[in-house]
Parts: sequence; structure tokens; C-alpha cells
Amino acid sequence: MISKNCLLLVGSIVLLLTGCGENARETPRVVPPTTPQTAEAPSTPPTPALETHPVTEKTRDVYQWYCTQCHGVTGKGNGINAKLLTVPPRDHTKADYLETRTDSQLFDAIQQGGLAVGRAPCMPSWGNTLDEDTIHSLVRYIRELCECEAI
Amino acid sequence: MKFFIPALLFGCLIITSSVQADSTLPEKLGCTSCHRFSSDEPTESHKAPDLFYAGNKFQKNWLEKFLQNPMVIRKAGTINDPGFLKGAPTLAQPHPALSRKEAAKMTEFLISLSLPDLATEQMDDTPLTKSERVRTKILFERNYGCIACHEGINLAGQARGGISGPSLANAGNRLKANWVFNKLKTPEKILPKSRMPLYKFDDATAIKLTKYMMTLKIGDWK
Repeated sequence: MISKNCLLLVGSIVLLLTGCGENARETPRVVPPTTPQTAEAPSTPPTPALETHPVTEKTRDVYQWYCTQCHGVTGKGNGINAKLLTVPPRDHTKADYLETRTDSQLFDAIQQGGLAVGRAPCMPSWGNTLDEDTIHSLVRYIRELCECEAI
Repeated sequence: MKFFIPALLFGCLIITSSVQADSTLPEKLGCTSCHRFSSDEPTESHKAPDLFYAGNKFQKNWLEKFLQNPMVIRKAGTINDPGFLKGAPTLAQPHPALSRKEAAKMTEFLISLSLPDLATEQMDDTPLTKSERVRTKILFERNYGCIACHEGINLAGQARGGISGPSLANAGNRLKANWVFNKLKTPEKILPKSRMPLYKFDDATAIKLTKYMMTLKIGDWK
């Protein structure tokens, strides 16, 4: 009984601990909708974040202070931690992936971290550190870096 | 009573003389050019970790050994180092080594430095059970993503993880549990602006994480 439990435990650890590992890269999971898709969706489209949350000096400073540690000074995904992570940090200058993400998906990944949105857990949640306006403007900054918008 | 007063005077003499002698050590040994010994000093001009709370932070034995035989804890340097984001700190590492005598004196002095408003109550010393440790390892590595920036210890017993934060691979030998707990709960009291995300851990989680980090020990850490 004990050994069976042990096996189960070891099995689950191996599964769980590889979360920051290769499998997360190879099997891009379906990103669960993080905002509840209620019936009463707004009839008018939300104001584009570009107008309400422009990229400012503060946005760039925040990016340089926090994000660069993994994503690199120029956003190319080559920060000082990058080589040591089993899932490479996202290259924010690459449009082919980022144009497949909506602004709200990027917002959620920053606010809640990778794990919460079905991506690599190496990305921590920044929701306690950065306010929503700052995160919105970071999304806009990523759009600047990739020179792309969601398709 | 006959012996009490001379003993008391002698005691005071020892305390005063040791404190007087010790407080000049950082200057003499050149520590002050890289480390801050007061929070009033500017952060930008000091590229090594703050030491005005060394007594809250370090285990005495570790500190004394480190000063004689330093190892690199922050492979990318501190966040104040201009080479930090390039992974090429301008401050030479490892730390200069002190003689055994100097290290002992310096350790005495450093251990006496503490922050007045840091909670100092001792955490209970019940270790995590095996299964609690496994679950907390998952919190540490997966849920909170600590190893993106800090080295932990992988299943093969090797240091593994990012380098933008200080290595925690030997945290159990290096740090005091209470300090780790405070760093998790009230980081702003220790460093007003860190590059680490804020987590707002509840006490139970912070205690678990602290106890987990205290299990991280690398045998040969020279």
C-alpha cells in the first residue's frame, strides 16, 4: 500500500516538476478562457488599449526593471536567466507567435503568470507587483516590440 | 556582591571594547566601498549586498566560513551592478577572502547588525514531512516559479535555476529561517525596490516555503 502510494507520488512529482520543462514547449495547450465568457458580452467593442494605456517612459522602465531578467534588454528572449530555463522565455520581437495571442491573453499571462494560462510556469504572476494600467501598457509595449497585433 | 560589581565592570569593558574595535573593521577591511552598512547610504554606488541587516540574515557559521572561503552567490551580480542585465557584473567575484582571525572578528560584528522593525519571533522548528516537502517543492518550482530567477536543487542534487536572484541552493546553510520568512512576507522592509515579484503569501504558505528553503543544502559548497 505504502509503496503504491509512493509510486503514485513519485509519478505525480515527475509529471508536475517537468512543468517548467520540455513538455510545456512541445504541447502548446489550449489556453483556457480566463475572462468569463458571459452571455452579457458588451455590445460595443472595448476601447482599444492603445488609446487608454499608451507606452510611456514608465512602461519601458518597468520592462527594463522586471521583464528583462528573462526576456532580455531588447525583448529577444535572451535575458540572463534564459539559458538556465528549460522553457525559453518568449521572444517579444517575434510576430509569428505573438500575433496568435490576443491582448487579453498577454495581459492574463503577465498578471497571473504562465501556469494560470496554460503556459510555462517559469513566468511568475505579476498581478501583485504591477497595477492593471501598467500591465495594459506592457501589452502595448510587447506589440511595439513584435510590430504586430492579434490577428 | 563583592564579586558582582567588578564582574559587571569587566563585562562592560569587554562589551565596549569589542564594539569599538569591531565597528571600525568594515572601513579597515574595505567593505564599505561595496556594501552598505546603513540604509541611508545611496544604493546606486554600492554594488554588493546590503549588510546592515546581516545579523537578521546570515547563519553565523556560514558567514565565518564564507569570509575565509567565498563562493559566488549572485552569478549575475547584484541588481545595482551596471553589468547585471548583461550577466557580466562589473564587481569582481568571488568576494575577497579574509584571514581566519579577520573573518572571526568580522562575523562577530556583522552578526550584531540588525533591522529594528523586522519581526524576530522564531519560527517553529518542526521540519516539513516528506510529503509536505514534495508539495512545497512543487510550489517553489512550479506554482511560484522561483527557480526562474533563483537556483534551487533539482532531483539529482544539483543546483539548478536562474541567476538573476541570489542562489538558494545552499539557503539552508546560509540564511536564517526567520529572515527568509520576513523576505517573503514583508520584502519592502528589507529592500524597498526589488526585482522580484510580490506574492502576498499567507502565513501558512510563507512558513512552508521558508521551511522548504531551509532544506536546501549543498554539502560541498566551497
